[in-house]
Amino acid sequence: MPEEGLLGRIYKDDEIIVKEGMQSRTMYVVQSGKVKIVKSDGDKEIILAVLNEGDIFGEMSLFDASPRSASVKAIGEARVLAIEHEGLLKRITMDPTLAFRIIKQMSQRIRNLNSKLSTAMRTITQVNNKLLLLNSENVTFRDRETKSSHVIDNIAQIQKELHKCNELFIQNESL
Amino acid sequence: MKSAKNSPLKDGARVAIIGGGPAGSFFSIFASKLAKDLGRRLDITIYERKTFVNQGAAGCNMCAGVVSESLVQLLALEGINLPPSVVQSGIESYHFHTQNGNVRIKSSRLQQRGIATIYRGGGPKGSIEKGIQSFDDFLLHKAVECGAKVEHIIVDEIRMERDKPVLYSRGKMLHDCDLLVGASGVKASTGEMYEKLGTGYKAPSIIKAMQSEIEMGNNWISSQFAHSIHIFLLHIPRIKFVSIIPKGDFITISILGKEPDAGCTKVFLSHPEMRKMLPPGFKIPEKFCHCFPKINVGAARKPFAHRLVFVGDASSARLYKDGIGSSYITSKAAAHTALLYGIGEEDFKEHYLPACETLNRDNLFGQFLFHVNDLISTISPLSRGYFKIIQQEQKNLQKDAHYSDILWDMFTGSRFYKNIFIRALNPLPIIRLLLAGSASSLRKVFFSHQ
Repeated sequence: MPEEGLLGRIYKDDEIIVKEGMQSRTMYVVQSGKVKIVKSDGDKEIILAVLNEGDIFGEMSLFDASPRSASVKAIGEARVLAIEHEGLLKRITMDPTLAFRIIKQMSQRIRNLNSKLSTAMRTITQVNNKLLLLNSENVTFRDRETKSSHVIDNIAQIQKELHKCNELFIQNESL
Repeated sequence: MKSAKNSPLKDGARVAIIGGGPAGSFFSIFASKLAKDLGRRLDITIYERKTFVNQGAAGCNMCAGVVSESLVQLLALEGINLPPSVVQSGIESYHFHTQNGNVRIKSSRLQQRGIATIYRGGGPKGSIEKGIQSFDDFLLHKAVECGAKVEHIIVDEIRMERDKPVLYSRGKMLHDCDLLVGASGVKASTGEMYEKLGTGYKAPSIIKAMQSEIEMGNNWISSQFAHSIHIFLLHIPRIKFVSIIPKGDFITISILGKEPDAGCTKVFLSHPEMRKMLPPGFKIPEKFCHCFPKINVGAARKPFAHRLVFVGDASSARLYKDGIGSSYITSKAAAHTALLYGIGEEDFKEHYLPACETLNRDNLFGQFLFHVNDLISTISPLSRGYFKIIQQEQKNLQKDAHYSDILWDMFTGSRFYKNIFIRALNPLPIIRLLLAGSASSLRKVFFSHQ
């Protein structure tokens, strides 16, 4: 691939494109490669989403002017085109259909979130019911040996469901 | 309820587009996409004589081949990302060569290669470079992906029969259509064909430019012209300005002036400022791929009628800049009018004409700005002051880039001329320019008396 014909900017593996908390209204379109949306959780980094060629990111800050809600980093070498916000907002006032693709992407993300939220709510209800059940079971000192394996099984199942719920949330999420 | 005469394009409507350049392809892409969103399907045929794969003028739509910063971004938002096979060079700066010296200008807004240089056809005659994809061919394929058909037939006559446009080729009737889209640029013969319809359409006024493709080799071009478009404002007789656009193994020399001819290219290549940039031992070739593209400098009159609309250069275009961007604007506005409002004369007047008028009005501001720029370049002290200010601004773009941004936006077409004009009226930078001009005058007087 000739280097001359590459538009945008090339980012190396793990290089930061957008930094969480930064004030910036630039939007981006992935031209080649992949990028990941990450949120810091103490020392840990939670991957919220992986975006591919043609995907848009940073659109929330374009409209609400709030600091970046997450960081975006390159996975391997990625090429990204920045969209200058002032020029774009002026163009959108002249041609509102320009925002269609952004709105479509945002509405798809809201749908995904809704679906995940309802699954999460279901899991929480199930977990809550199990906890209530555990609480209602009168575990006395005498029969703790016979009941304890049942309690452990239940807790393990609750942990499994919570883990599944967490997994669901960190998959394919976006800014 | 609207009558059939001016109702929007219905499901299954037949659309004929004459011209498969960017304007025709854009119309087809945007009409197909919107129709899909509306749950309709259009039967679109694009008539284009060329295939855009041949080398030289035969396969090319003759243009400097620059896709502006704003259009690259808009296309990316539309989901049309230009691949490296189409982009010959990603441009990040403009390099101005003036009588006061050279200055390289970068945008203060985005630090990236945001402007694309492209070939409209299969590349210059004699090019051995492989893997060049024409921009027009790329867009035409996108239109086909969206459902359009392409016919390599010349449409040479249009008649209005039973309230519909009917297309003919060499006396043979092709078919009628619900909407005819004129997207064939500023070619005199097609302009006359449309004018004969008697709808009041008058083709736009044009000037001729000159374009030459000179081979210099990829390595030399990368080292000398790297990711930069070079503008020469050198007061050479018959030449208003020259742009050099790097494209792989070749540079495109685009000359704007008084009836430029092949001799102008040779005169320019012999200029000391240009000679510095030529490879050692470079000899001006006797023969080189060149053409005389026509540039739309005055809008078409009445670019619409009942079931008929003109887009791109056949309608309105931005002055000297961003012709492909103008095609994008007019084609999209026409496609949306036809699908959302109607295909009658009144519909186009109400919903399409404003997009053309925006461009036409903006060009008045553009004319004024280019006049002021010419004026500054002819008044030596002002020109020196202007040059010095831009040099200073480029050292720290985040601090102040007022004149750099004005020059950047004027020459890249990134902003509408009206927007640049309003910024240019800011009194503080004007005072700064006048002071810089006066200081330059005083310096000259002082040093000449030493």
